[in-house]
Formats: sequence, C-alpha cells, structure tokens
Amino acid sequence: MSKLLDKPFRSFTIYALVILVCSVPVYYFVVDAIWMEELDEHNWIIRKRMEKGIQTAKVDEKQLNQTLKIWNKLQPGTKLVAIDEKNITQNRIYTTRTYNPFEHEIDRFRVLSTAIWVNEKPYQLTISTNVEEADETLIAIAFVTVFFFFLLVIGFVFLNKRISKKSWKPFYKTLDQLKNFDLSKDQHIQFEQSDIEEFEELNQELTTLIKKNATTFNQQKRFIENASHELQTPLSVLKTKMDVLLQNNTLSEQEASTIEAINSSLSRISRINKNLLLLAKIENHQFAEEMPVNIKQTLAENIELLDDYFQSKGIHVQMNVEHYSVKCNPTLLEVLFNNLATNVIRHGNKNDILRINLTGNKLTFSNTGAASLSADNLFIRFGISSSETTNSGLGLAISKEICDRYNWTLSYQFNDHLHAFSIEF
Amino acid sequence: MKILIIEDELELSKDIIGYLNAQDYLCELAADYNQAIDKISAYTYDCILLDLMIPFGNGLEVLERLKAEKRSDGVIIISAKGALDDKIKGLQLGADDYLAKPFHLSELSARIYSVIRRKQFDNSNTITHDELTVDILSKTVTVGSNIVSLTKKEFDLLLLFLGNKNKVISKNALAEHLSGDIADMFDNHDFVYAHVKNLKKKLTEAGCDNYLKTIYGTGYKWEL
Repeated sequence: MSKLLDKPFRSFTIYALVILVCSVPVYYFVVDAIWMEELDEHNWIIRKRMEKGIQTAKVDEKQLNQTLKIWNKLQPGTKLVAIDEKNITQNRIYTTRTYNPFEHEIDRFRVLSTAIWVNEKPYQLTISTNVEEADETLIAIAFVTVFFFFLLVIGFVFLNKRISKKSWKPFYKTLDQLKNFDLSKDQHIQFEQSDIEEFEELNQELTTLIKKNATTFNQQKRFIENASHELQTPLSVLKTKMDVLLQNNTLSEQEASTIEAINSSLSRISRINKNLLLLAKIENHQFAEEMPVNIKQTLAENIELLDDYFQSKGIHVQMNVEHYSVKCNPTLLEVLFNNLATNVIRHGNKNDILRINLTGNKLTFSNTGAASLSADNLFIRFGISSSETTNSGLGLAISKEICDRYNWTLSYQFNDHLHAFSIEF
Repeated sequence: MKILIIEDELELSKDIIGYLNAQDYLCELAADYNQAIDKISAYTYDCILLDLMIPFGNGLEVLERLKAEKRSDGVIIISAKGALDDKIKGLQLGADDYLAKPFHLSELSARIYSVIRRKQFDNSNTITHDELTVDILSKTVTVGSNIVSLTKKEFDLLLLFLGNKNKVISKNALAEHLSGDIADMFDNHDFVYAHVKNLKKKLTEAGCDNYLKTIYGTGYKWEL
C-alpha cells in the first residue's frame, strides 16, 4: 500500500517527465528556426554593407579584381566573383555542410547567394555563416531540461513533505487518536480543530459516532450489571427455600435427589450470575485500588484454598515459582489464578499433575490433555458451549479481561499433550 | 436471644425467621428504613441482620446511626451487592460480619451464633454441650478430659454444626462454609464427606456421643 500523498507525487513526476521530454524537440525546432532567421538577416546586412562599401569606395575594375582575388582567399565567409550578365540568378538562401579541415568535422553553414552590381558589372556574392550544429543544440537543450526536471522533482519532494506536515497533520493526529482508542476503556476523545473543511467534517462525524457507540456500550454494561443485581435477590430466595425444604423430615429418597438436582442447577445459575456481575464490575473499572502483589504468595494461598478440590480429583500441584511482584489489584489477581486453577480441576484428568512455572515474567499453568482446545473462541464469553454443568463459560473471559486491564498477555498453547495457559506480566 | 432482620424481600425474611425461630431465637422484622429506625430506637438486639438496599434509605445509614449511639448490637450485613467496597465500608463502620447473597441459612445461622458469642463472651468464649467443650478462642476441643485434636477444617465444620443444631445442612452448604466463594465454582463436593467422616471418628474415639447424623442424599445433621 502506498501513502495517500505519494500517489499524486508519482503522477506529477511522471507528467512532468513526459512534458519535459516532449518539450525538447519543440525547443530545438524553435531555437533552430530563430537561429536561421537571425543568420539570414545577418547575411543580408553583410550583403548590403558590402554592396554599399564597394560602391562608395569607387575602385576601378582592375583594382577591384585584384583585391577580390586576395579577399576571396583570406575571407572565408564571403566570396565575390564576377559573372556574366546572363548568369545572374535569383537570390538563393540555403543550408550547406562543408568539411572543416581544422577541427576535422563537418560544419553547417547558412548561405546567401546573390548578385550585386559594381561599376555596372554583375558580381556573384556568396555569404556563408556558421550555424550551430543541430545535435549540439539538441544536447544542450536536453541537458538543461534534465537539470530542470531534477529541480522539479526536488521541489515536489520538498513541497510534498511540507504539505503533508502542515495540511495533513490534523488527519494523522485523528488517526493516531483512533488507533489508541478503546471503547471499553471509557476514554474521552477530543479531536484537534482543523481549518480544512473535510478534516473538520471527518472529526465531527467521528466524534458523533464514538459518542453513540460509547453510549450503547455503557448502556449494555449497565444492563448486564443491573440484570445480574436484580437476579441476586430471587436467587437468594430460591436458595433459602431449598434449605428450608431440606429440613423436612419426611423427604423420600426420590424427593431428596430432586432437591439435590435443583440445587446443583441453582448453583450454576448463581455462578453464572456472579461471574457476569464480576465481569461487569471489572469493565466498569471497579477494583481500582492497586498495590504490589507477591505472585508466589498469592499463588500459594490460592492453591491451599483449592486443596480439597485438588485432592478429591487426585491432582498433584507442582509449583516452580520464582519471586516476582506485580502492581495490580490483589482481588483481581486472586480471581485470575483461581479461574486458571479451577479450570484444571473441572476439566483436567484425574490423578494428573498441574505444573505452575514462573520464569522471568511468564507464568504458565499446564496440565495434560488429549486434544487442543479451539483457541479462537476460548477467551470469548460463552464461547465454548458445554453441556458440562460445571461450566459457567465466563472464567476465561474474565481472566482475559483482567489481563487486558493490566496489559498482560494471556495465551493458550497445546504442545506435547499439554494444555498451557501463560500470562506474561 | 433477640434478632432484628432488616430486609425488604418478604419471602427471604420469612424463611430466615422460620429457620432461626427453630433455633430458639426471637426474631423481629423491619421491611424498610423507617421501620428499622423505629425498631432500633426502641429496642436493643443481640444481633441485627442488615440488608444494604432497603426502601426509603440505605442500610449503611442504619449502621452509622447504631455506631453514633455507641450501641453494642451485633450487626451482620446481608447484601446482594457483594461489592468489595461495600464490604470494607460496612466493616469499617462497625459491622461484625458480611454475608453476600445468595447464602445458605446454615451459614447465616452459624455467623449469628459466632457474632453473639463474640459480643457476649469476650474472654472465656467456650461452648459446652454435654461432655463436649469447645474453646473458640484457643480453638481447642475437649471431650470430658480428653483433648481432641482437629484440623482447621474439622474445627470449622464443628462450629457450623453447633450453630445449626437439629438442622439438615447440605453438602453444598458445608463446602461453601469451608471454601467460601470458591465452592461456587464446583459441583462436586465429595471432599466434604472425608472431613465429616474424620470429625465424627475423632469425636467418637474421644468418647463423645454420636450426634452427627448422615441424612441420605441430602447432607448432615447435628442431632440432639
């Protein structure tokens, strides 16, 4: 892809080249024509001057012929020869080429052949003047043209840069602002005022568009938060009702197992709701408080909390973690570790090993698995629809959201039958 | 023991009252801010269950008022908000505990039990139950003259059972009591079974009667 300003620049350059190349023969013909005209005029002046000079000198014929002999020998440009009256021709103007023995080249001459009368006798006068060679003229013009072409190109480059710097500045600034804009970050965007109509219009349209989108986005966020808030109360009632129902002494085995089943579905709803609420809160920039957190310690506490669940699935945790500290919200870091660890408990194989390694700034959770997970929608909300009742479909979306917030990279890889989730702090 | 429940969701307060009445607590209800202020102005309570979002006012204002009057009523915030800020603010304002909705009644009962104990028996906080004695501060359990050494989880479970006598507690509620919010993330709480089994074994080996009953398919019960 080429830059916007390079396009007219290239066309202008090519156009200038074509025009200048075409101008070379035109210049040549014009210069040559002027040249010829001037030389013809020059020849006529010489003729007149000579005619007048000879006539006023009043030399007799004999003397004149003697002088002419010497004259014709010494003066190469003109030749005056006595002729018969019947040989008088019309004035002739023509171009001729003669060998120049001094410079070993053929020179071009403009010739005027005419008759003048001296002492009432006709003389043939031939005046020839050296004309610049055609190729020499052409080369000179071409050289000058090339020189000016380069001057033009340099001018174009310079002007292009100046125009791009000045006129396009607001455009590039807008572009930069858009590049750094993130709808989810609740940023305000203020475009610079421009005196160019199109840019000003563009900025105004963009501002309107962004405002509209931000409003929609915020409404959506608020909707999720409100919806999950509203759900909390009926969920609480349901949960309490189940506890009350459980106190019934006359429950049959079948009724008890029905209650158990309802309870586990209820747990799932609660879980999804809680996670939605958490996600909305992270998006709404709650958990703003930050402090340096020791990763090793947080991890150890987390694993201990989950100890019962690891043990009941026979999963052994192998920690190989160096001391490392990050600045973040401690609750969010706990949530992040929790999500990654609980995933292993929920989806991992029985009697497996969970390896947690921290080298440099990269923390990796890995456990064995049969096949790679689909990485495309792994971190998207409800991206993996699963019939498994334990799945809320939000854990990894929350993890991603947390990592994004602190500009950490969360990635998934499947190598050598190992699922590996890595965070680069 | 008198308990005030400040909660606008009637279905919820009805069940809480029903559950607590059976535990020999005397319960009163305030369904909005004005009723709550009336009640706390007129009476003192051993424990107040306080919902933060109530009609005509904010639960935190009730708490501020209690604090301004230097009252010693125990306060447990029960809130659907679950926001960390509210929790910290509530505890800073002098609430004794914070329980996020939705919760299990057994958990609530255990928290009330512990708050009342903490408020009323500051130094010698021991629970005696026939031959069983539990010292909450030093976390020691004795049966007659035998000291029973329990793990932290077994001790926590024992307190939950003692706070919910004659009540069936589901495995899910037990798991939540042990691991808090994390329990929400799992459906399988089989590990609870192992802890209860160990607790039962240790108590009976020390010579304690078997109060802990397994209710098939639903959970456990501390039966008297």
